[in-house]
Amino acid sequence: MINQVIWPPIITTLLYVLVFGLALGSRIPTVQGVTYAQFLIPGLIVLQVIDASYGECSSSLFQGRFMNSIQELLIAPMSAAEMVGGFILGSLARALLIAGLITALGVLLVHSVPRDWALYLTVIALVSVLFSSLGLIFGLVAEKFDHIAILTTFVITPLTFVGGVFTSAKMLPQTLRNMELFNPIFYAIDAFRRSYTGESDLAPWFSLSMIALLSAIALGIALRMTAVGYKLRT
Amino acid sequence: MKRYGNFTAVDGVTLRVREGEFFGFLGPNGAGKTTTINAIVGLARKSAGKIAIFGYDNERQWREARRFVGLSPQEFNFDRYLSLRDVLIFAAGYYGIRGKEVVERADMLLERFGLTSHAHLEYTKISGGQKRRLSLARALIHEPRLLILDEPTAGVDVELRLELWRWLRELNQEGLTIFLTTHYLEEAERLCRRIAIIRGGRIVTEKPTEELVAEGESLQDVFLELMRH
Repeated sequence: MINQVIWPPIITTLLYVLVFGLALGSRIPTVQGVTYAQFLIPGLIVLQVIDASYGECSSSLFQGRFMNSIQELLIAPMSAAEMVGGFILGSLARALLIAGLITALGVLLVHSVPRDWALYLTVIALVSVLFSSLGLIFGLVAEKFDHIAILTTFVITPLTFVGGVFTSAKMLPQTLRNMELFNPIFYAIDAFRRSYTGESDLAPWFSLSMIALLSAIALGIALRMTAVGYKLRT
Repeated sequence: MKRYGNFTAVDGVTLRVREGEFFGFLGPNGAGKTTTINAIVGLARKSAGKIAIFGYDNERQWREARRFVGLSPQEFNFDRYLSLRDVLIFAAGYYGIRGKEVVERADMLLERFGLTSHAHLEYTKISGGQKRRLSLARALIHEPRLLILDEPTAGVDVELRLELWRWLRELNQEGLTIFLTTHYLEEAERLCRRIAIIRGGRIVTEKPTEELVAEGESLQDVFLELMRH
């Protein structure tokens, strides 16, 4: 479990901080009033929260379908909401654990400490619900393990990289800045970074509303698919 | 009735299993046995018809109905990363059993089925016979009133088969209703009080075992005769 869940995000984050934050970042002036390495930490946390939430739900559900162990849940006196809730709470626990560890790394390596814990926790919870729900949807739709990776490879990773992990929207040309408004991950990173720096490109209430809306839509679809037994009951 | 597109898997199956009964459900491969079981436990949605479990409709009152049913499926469907004890503890959780009771029940069932010494092993590390016993233990973790066994002795050696028969008889004597599908006609003849035979998705006979056996020289004779017509 440690090798699968804990080490990969820690090592990836360490590499990003060391290579981009400390090595290249020393040549970049401050961003949003903090060093570039400190600026990176919140984006890296959101990146790993997304990865942990999506991966936990999609692989758990798909593996359950693949090995038929999901049948245990389907014959138990549990509603679709209870099932979905269980998967999402599991993902949220994993996301919080990962976020906590990277936060600790940020404190140790670059002295980056969150200022607004309420905003920090709210964004993690909303992002985790959004990507756990997407994980459930893809875990249900997938016919092969490869299908689960499609969303990660072609959607989540590109959107995350252009969504503000490494840059502030203010550093981008106007056209790209306008395009960011169609990237849900931009809202998540922008609001989350505010919990660290106290600054954001957009008003936090607007970003939080956008993530909450998308989470509600994804959660609704995941619940509906589970309730009708999509690819679960014959 | 259960249809998959244009294919009708089960049609006009009317069965009444009495409480405390040991009921056999026989038929050749593809006759509709597992489809019927899946419809009872809720893994398959019926195309038409009604299933009641101890008076509870299994679709409208699914929560109540499912509490009463334990299933030991034909194929093992355990989470491969769990230990035997955890398989039982997790299963108990799905039925809302909490606290000390969970561990007590899990340990009691592990002991009853001779699995205590393997309790901390992952399920992938045990033999087929031990997996079969674990499947039975899991089906009983929430103390169901109806135990559904889909070919519980498929692929197990003679010694374990006899042991499983003994356990099943004991459970039935303790008041548990048992619904058994098997390809071993001798097994059905020895264990079941009443037997239904399904062919091509339809019930072709349903009688007390003694009456059914009396129609030929053995249950096998009767079964083969019914399959010919």
